Amino acid sequence: MNALVILTAILFFLMTLVGGKKGVRSFVALFINFLVLLVTILIMTDSNASPVILTAIACALISAVTLFFINESNVKTKTAFVSTIITTVLLLLFIQFVTDRVMVQGFGDEEVEGLTIYSFYLGIDFLQVATSVVIMSTIGAVTDEAISISSPMFEIHRHHPTISMSALFHAGMRIGKDLLGTSANTLFFAFFGGYLALLVRYKDLSYSFGQIINSKVFSAEMITILCAGIGVALIIPVTAAITSYVLVKKSPVDKS
Amino acid sequence: MNMIKKIPRKRLVFLFILSTVLVSSIYFVYHNHAFYQDPIVEVTKVTIIDEQEVTDGQGHIDIIYTQAIEGKLKNSLQKGERVYLENEFSQSRVYHPEFQVGDDVFVTIDQVQEGDDLTGSIIDAKRDHYLLLVGWFFMLVLIAVGRRQGLFAVISLVVNAVLISLALDVYIATNDVTLLFIMSLAVIAMTALSLVLVSGLTHQTYAAIIATLIGTFSLLFITMLVLAMTNAEGLRFEEMEFLTRPPEAVFMAGILVGALGAVMDVAVTISSSLFSLYDKNHQISDHDLKQSGIEIGKDIMGTMTNILFFAYVSGTIPTLLVYFMNGAPLGFTLSLNLSLELTRALAGGIGIVLTIPIGLYTTIFFINRKRASV
Repeated sequence: MNALVILTAILFFLMTLVGGKKGVRSFVALFINFLVLLVTILIMTDSNASPVILTAIACALISAVTLFFINESNVKTKTAFVSTIITTVLLLLFIQFVTDRVMVQGFGDEEVEGLTIYSFYLGIDFLQVATSVVIMSTIGAVTDEAISISSPMFEIHRHHPTISMSALFHAGMRIGKDLLGTSANTLFFAFFGGYLALLVRYKDLSYSFGQIINSKVFSAEMITILCAGIGVALIIPVTAAITSYVLVKKSPVDKS
Repeated sequence: MNMIKKIPRKRLVFLFILSTVLVSSIYFVYHNHAFYQDPIVEVTKVTIIDEQEVTDGQGHIDIIYTQAIEGKLKNSLQKGERVYLENEFSQSRVYHPEFQVGDDVFVTIDQVQEGDDLTGSIIDAKRDHYLLLVGWFFMLVLIAVGRRQGLFAVISLVVNAVLISLALDVYIATNDVTLLFIMSLAVIAMTALSLVLVSGLTHQTYAAIIATLIGTFSLLFITMLVLAMTNAEGLRFEEMEFLTRPPEAVFMAGILVGALGAVMDVAVTISSSLFSLYDKNHQISDHDLKQSGIEIGKDIMGTMTNILFFAYVSGTIPTLLVYFMNGAPLGFTLSLNLSLELTRALAGGIGIVLTIPIGLYTTIFFINRKRASV
């Protein structure tokens, strides 16, 4: 039997066992998100399509699936969705600028070896592709944080309907700060785990410190880690601001 | 009374030290050419001297540009001399970048006759200064948003990176210890360190540490068992990049480290929310705690598995594009390039879900111990 099939079955079984109906929905959401990613990549192969715009659309879809399908559509998920989109766009602009300057698009010397039989003259902009890789790596974490901040803020507002906008904003910031460390760690370790082979290679072939930090592959990985960190930090004030605005301004105090 | 005066001064000292380190490190990285052995050239003039449209086997149209680069040597014996270089890049820039005035590049200098212009060929771009700038920006954003917690996040990133690097050094220096064993030790150290940094030396932290370790090692055990039972069928280890060692060992260690952050996140979420329920109501029953814990677990499981999935799979986008655009079939491309990433994501997902009940029971155990001691 195929190892992937068995692992998938185990994951499905566990998610159902622990999460019940919501677990099944979470599993299905994972599958849908995989399809969204795949279709996005397939559309990217068309050189008329802009990879960055495609990525922005894909991120909106992915975060919509995660928020509205696993949970339901309500004030909490809607504000989380808007915050995710705003943060993603801000991050896109920043990363596009950075990848251009640092020149980490495409493949490094260490990666090209395995691809020599393929044509590299593809006519699509790999600077934009590099940007989309970084954004896509972070979208899961950004969405997660948005809902983890907006949902307790909603609870605070429910218990204290007269809370002022700035007090609610600060409460959101406090919640976000507590999440920052663990969210950043989730991403950092995921990347470390993925780059282990690269690190072993650098040490085995005794690269010098200067060679490592200037190499394209290492720089690309570092940029991904750093931008991911910036993303999970940026989502905090954005979500806190939008949620407090929506809850205090938009909904009348005596609503419930 | 004194406290009010003390805090801003402490912060002032911190800001002063931070800005001094910031400015001097940036100054250094822009003037560190002498520390490199390879000659470095600063680009002072670029002209496109050739433009050629190419069509590949699949009908994709691209343009190959050749740029003539004039630059000045920034180090080595011929420092200050003018150098002429050439660089070829395609419009899609899959491999070589386009250089602009102001960029620094590593070069090799050709042997030339006395009195002739220096020529050379480009090795790669110098990227350390940009990396440092983005690194500082990262740090400032994290501190601005998270203050103390932001600083701790940065510290924990650095410390964990150093620990992993040290573990790899030990692995490479000693041939008879397996990577998995060394990484397991590193995982224990990193878990304890990161979680203490997040929430201090409390019962809550101990519960989270123990839950994380049980969760991480169970996911490792399950994954190893499945791979052993199926002879790792469907996994394309030969496609692992950067290999200099047996791929399975490096891959398993990667699974262990990669899932650790997510498992820690789940363990902390469960333990901190259960402890806050207990703090609000010391009489709360085990049954109620269990119920709340499962509800919280249901809420986080979907988004957490998503995080790992995208963190792993997104990195393959450029490779997938190259395969697809060269007409490689869908199934072949996916099974070749995604099998390892998907295994990592699935293993991590299994760890996340397992840690929910594990975290639940561990935390209840610690809550009851605290109850008994009160």
